Amino acid sequence: MVEMEEGIQRLGRQDRSIANEVQKSVRERRPLTLRRVITNEYFLHVVSSAAFLYLWHEVAASGVFKGGLCTPWEVVVRFRGLLTDTLAGLTLWGHIGASAQRIAIGFVLASVVAIPLGLFMALNPYVNAVVKPVFDIFKPMPPIAWVSIAILWFGVGEESKIFIIIIGTFVPCLLNAYNGIRLIEPELYDVIKVLGGKRWNEILQVSFPASFPAIFAGLQISLSLAWTCVLAAELVASRSGLGFIIVQGMKFTDAALVIGGMVMIALVAWVSSLLIAGLEKLLCPWRRDIRDL
Amino acid sequence: MAYEEVKVRKPLGLILLPFFSIFCFFGAWELIVRLGIVPATMLAAPSAVGNLFVEKLTNPNPDGATILVHAWVSMQEAFLGYLLALGIGLPLGLFMGWFGVVRGIARPIFELIRPIPPIAWIPLTVFWFGIGLWGKVFIIWLGGVVPCVINAFVGVRMTNPTLIQMARTYGASDWQIFKTLCVPSALPMVFGALQIALASCWTNLVAAELLAADQGLGYLITMGRRLALPDMVVLGMVSVGVMGALIGMVIDQVEKRLLAGIRR
Repeated sequence: MVEMEEGIQRLGRQDRSIANEVQKSVRERRPLTLRRVITNEYFLHVVSSAAFLYLWHEVAASGVFKGGLCTPWEVVVRFRGLLTDTLAGLTLWGHIGASAQRIAIGFVLASVVAIPLGLFMALNPYVNAVVKPVFDIFKPMPPIAWVSIAILWFGVGEESKIFIIIIGTFVPCLLNAYNGIRLIEPELYDVIKVLGGKRWNEILQVSFPASFPAIFAGLQISLSLAWTCVLAAELVASRSGLGFIIVQGMKFTDAALVIGGMVMIALVAWVSSLLIAGLEKLLCPWRRDIRDL
Repeated sequence: MAYEEVKVRKPLGLILLPFFSIFCFFGAWELIVRLGIVPATMLAAPSAVGNLFVEKLTNPNPDGATILVHAWVSMQEAFLGYLLALGIGLPLGLFMGWFGVVRGIARPIFELIRPIPPIAWIPLTVFWFGIGLWGKVFIIWLGGVVPCVINAFVGVRMTNPTLIQMARTYGASDWQIFKTLCVPSALPMVFGALQIALASCWTNLVAAELLAADQGLGYLITMGRRLALPDMVVLGMVSVGVMGALIGMVIDQVEKRLLAGIRR
């Protein structure tokens, strides 16, 4: 979205040439009126953020929710303390690391299996005929429904959490790899055929590169799902991780701990999705051409 | 595109393989439990799950309700949350797409809430609403409202700018453009949101019930784990999956009907 808006703005600044006529686009300077300032989007961003924080503070300070809500400042203080103090033997960094480690293991394991499987399914109808029906049985089951059986199988240790992450990330990874190949425009294959290419050329030069953006979209989706899954697993049973922080807050009715944990999860999930986006830019540079259009 | 529709007969192997693989899957599942490769305390055979399902149709023990009651409770929560998410999320997204003032006010708060998984809200909702109906509805609503807003927003933003410029040339007001151009052109994206939001709602329903509930399919799963009854856990998972798939199909049909007039 942001890229698109930037692109549009950049186009607006240059002179656009359509066929044989040149459009001069000159920005007209509008006078700075009160109305313009008030309806400016960034100004409104600031106003609404401030209003949100102020409202939060007031509601929390008024004590309507008793222990169920705390002021934003209390959250900041609590978490600044956690940077050095420990909660159940780990500092904040330790808990973030524990969650991130689970995510990394589960996410890598799932994508290493799911993406090739999805590609195979799309490329070979026999693989598809064998795997798809079984996959379709598992698809509609929310990964969180697996939490209980994972605990029955693996206990409350690391394995059960990683198992749930694998279950959660497997489906979008596989589906996107599968659809990424199936939705390739048939004209691209025709080009290879016309140029006298073999099936192998089709796969290497059309299927793989063209499915890359879809695969990365799947990775993004499954990463955000992975955070949801790890959170669910840690909420049910754990001794470390960001979900554990939230559960501790719930047990002791410590709203600062709960809200801070929520904010930390949002932050870490955001950073990890930035990492994937960066990896995508590195691994498939051709995607950028589409965005710049 | 000048493609001619050619009916290709599938080879017999391709038609039979799916049935074969499903059969093998259930056969292997039944066998590993029967032969004791996986102990019966960890996994229940499909036949045991089927038996329990028939029994649970009438017997409310040991978790306090029959499976139909559990399913009905879950449905109620899911649909309340879903409808609220549609009712609030879609208009908000549409307005955010077209009116700069709404976008300016709503965006920071939305961006703040969007990346937090709805599950993380469970403790706060327990503080605020207790473990009754509305707490779960709130979690489900949070799960559903985000995709609704995003899809409606993107739908409006993708309106053909030429049409908007033309409408401006003819002197249409902002509201007229929104009503007659932006909303109709956002409709396909909006209908896409119906499916995505439903899937999200259903996932979060299970999460909400896992942690704070005394009835519902998610609760059935939790009780199965607490009582170490794997057949109950699997039954709960299967019911959640089947119901999710069924509701998805219904929404899919509704979407097709509604879109029939648009996509031609």
